[in-house]
Amino acid sequence: MRLALPQPHEDLGHTADVGVRVRGATAEEALARLVLAFAALASGGAGVAAEREERVAVAGGPDLAGTAVALLRELLYRLATEGLVPAACEILSADAAGAEATIAFGRRDPELHAEGADLKAVTWHAARLEREGDGWVAQAVFDV
Amino acid sequence: MQLRRIEGDLWEIPREGRMRVPGRVYSVGPPVPDDPALQQVANVAHLPGILRFSLAMPDIHWGYGFPIGGVAAMDADHGAVSPGGVGYDINCGVRVLTTTLEEEVVRAKLHAITAQLFRDVPTGVGASRAIPRLSDGELDEVLAGGARWAARRGFAAAGDDAERCEEGGRLRGADPSAVSERARARGADQLGTLGSGNHFLEVDRIAEVYDAGVAEAFGLVPGQVALQIHSGSRGLGYQVCDEFIAAIARSRGEFGEDYANLPDPQLAAAPIASALGQRYLGAMQAAANFAWANRQVMTGLAVRALLHTLGISERDLGARVLYDVCHNVAKLEEHEVDGARRRVLVHRKGATRAFGPGDARVPAPYRAVGQPVLIPGDMGRYSYVLAGTARAMTDTFGSSCHGAGRLLSRGEALRRGRGRAIARELAARGIEVISRGKKTLAEEMSEAYKDVAQVVAVMDGAGISRLVARLEPMGVIKG
Repeated sequence: MRLALPQPHEDLGHTADVGVRVRGATAEEALARLVLAFAALASGGAGVAAEREERVAVAGGPDLAGTAVALLRELLYRLATEGLVPAACEILSADAAGAEATIAFGRRDPELHAEGADLKAVTWHAARLEREGDGWVAQAVFDV
Repeated sequence: MQLRRIEGDLWEIPREGRMRVPGRVYSVGPPVPDDPALQQVANVAHLPGILRFSLAMPDIHWGYGFPIGGVAAMDADHGAVSPGGVGYDINCGVRVLTTTLEEEVVRAKLHAITAQLFRDVPTGVGASRAIPRLSDGELDEVLAGGARWAARRGFAAAGDDAERCEEGGRLRGADPSAVSERARARGADQLGTLGSGNHFLEVDRIAEVYDAGVAEAFGLVPGQVALQIHSGSRGLGYQVCDEFIAAIARSRGEFGEDYANLPDPQLAAAPIASALGQRYLGAMQAAANFAWANRQVMTGLAVRALLHTLGISERDLGARVLYDVCHNVAKLEEHEVDGARRRVLVHRKGATRAFGPGDARVPAPYRAVGQPVLIPGDMGRYSYVLAGTARAMTDTFGSSCHGAGRLLSRGEALRRGRGRAIARELAARGIEVISRGKKTLAEEMSEAYKDVAQVVAVMDGAGISRLVARLEPMGVIKG
C-alpha cells in the first residue's frame, strides 16, 4: 500500500528528544507511516513535493524494530547529506532481515520547512514494530 | 521504583535483579519514582564492568539508553563501552571566553553585536560553510588535532586557547581512519557552525561572584563581559555514533550473554578491549577532536565579529578562553576505587568533568583551585561557573551536572509558547535574541528548563562542585 503525506502520528512526549508512534493494519503499513512521521518531523508538517522515486533497501535486524531503525537511519542520512524528504512511501517487504521500500522523495526547502526539526539520529530506545491488538504499531525516538 | 535517601539531595536506587551496582541520584527535591529517567539509571547499572554506582546528576532527565545527566565508570580491562553512553553529539560541550569589556560598552551596541555574531556564525538545521570545505587530508588533521588545528589557522582568542581546554583541546587516542566516509560526508562542511536545538552562542555579563579568590584565578570580574559557546561535533559525530551503535547491536551476540541481554537496545555495548570497542573509541575521540575544532573556529569567528562591531583592537577586547568542557564523552582516566588507583572508562552523558584542586590533569593556572565547571542555564535566566572539588573525585568519578535539564518536552513547550512573542518578552528584559528556526524560541524558553540555580545548588550543597560566579545573558544567537 502506497501512502503519502500527511499521515497521522502520535507524539510520545519525550522530554529531551522527539518520539512518534503510528499504527497500521500490517507491518508494512505501520512502517510506511513511521517513514512519513519522520518526514513530517523533518518538514515541520509542511507539504513535500515529490521529485523522484527510488527503491531503497536496507539490511535490518536483530529484530523487526531493528529493521525499522535501519530504514529510518538510511533516510535520515539522505536527509542530512542530500536534503531529501520522503513525500510518499510503499513498503515492499519488511522482516527481521531487512526492508525494501519505494519512496518518492522531495527536497527540504529552508523556507517552507523552516519549522522542521533538526533530526540528529534515530535511536534504538523504545523502537517498536510489532503486533498490538488487531493491528501493528511502530514507534521511534529521534535525537534532536 | 524504590528509592532511599542517603543524605541531603543524594538518593539510592537499590541493586536488584541483574543490576551490578546500585544507582545513585542527586536530585532537586525528592525524585519522582515513575520518572523514566530513573529506570534508565537502573538500566545502566546492568552494563558489564560498571564500578561502584550508576550515577545521575541533578539535571537528570529522560534520554535514550542512558539518562541525560548520567555517569558510569567502567573497568578499563574488563568493562564495556557503550556509544549510547556518550550520545550522538560526541563532545557536545561548553566554552566560556572572558573579555575585559565592560557591560555598558557592549550594551550600547548590543543589537549590532548580536546581529553580527548571527551573520558570522552559521546556525540552524544543517548549517554549513563557516569556512571553506575541508579536503580529506585537512579533515584528518582536524580529527587528530582538535582545537589546536583551528588555533594554528588563526581561529583564536589568545595564544593559549587550547591549553585552557579540557584535555588540551584534543584526545590523543583519536583514530581518523575509523571515521567512515559517510561521517566525513555529513560533517566536512559543518566545521565552525553552531547547529540548532539547545546549542547557542551568548554574550553574557558576569553578574555575581560567589568566591572571589577562585573567580580571580578564573579571570572572572563582575560587570565584565563573557562569551559562551555551546555546540558539539555536528553531523560527523552523529554519524559516528549512529554507525557504531548499529554495528555493536548486530554483533551483540558475539560478546556473551551479559552483552546480549541488556535492558535497552540503545545501551548496546562492546568490551572495551574488543576490536570493535577499540575502533569505536578511536572514532569517538576523533569526533571529539572535531567538536573542539568546531568550538575553536567559532571562537575565532566570534572574536572577529566583536572586533569588527566595536572597532577596537585585540588588546582592548582582552579575550581569552576561560575553559572548554565536554559533557558527552567517554574518557580513560585514573581514579581511586576501593582504595586502589584504577584505569577506568568514564562515560559522561550530559555530565561535566569536575576535577578538584591539586590534580595534575587540571591546567596549571587553575590547579590550586580546581578545574572550571561550566554550567549553562537557559536563554532567559543565567548560567554558572563552578569549580571542581576533592569530593567529586571520591564520590562521582570527578563529575558534575552539565546544565539545567529539560522540564518540558518540545511539543509541550510549543503548546505553552503559542501566542507568545518570546523574543519580545526577552527584549523587554534587556536580552537580545536572534534565532534561525521559527519554533526554536518556544522550544527553548526558560519555562522548558529546570531552574539551573537549583541544579547547581544541589552540586554545591553536596560538595561535588563549588559555586564561583553567575553569568546572565545579554545577547543570544540560536539555531
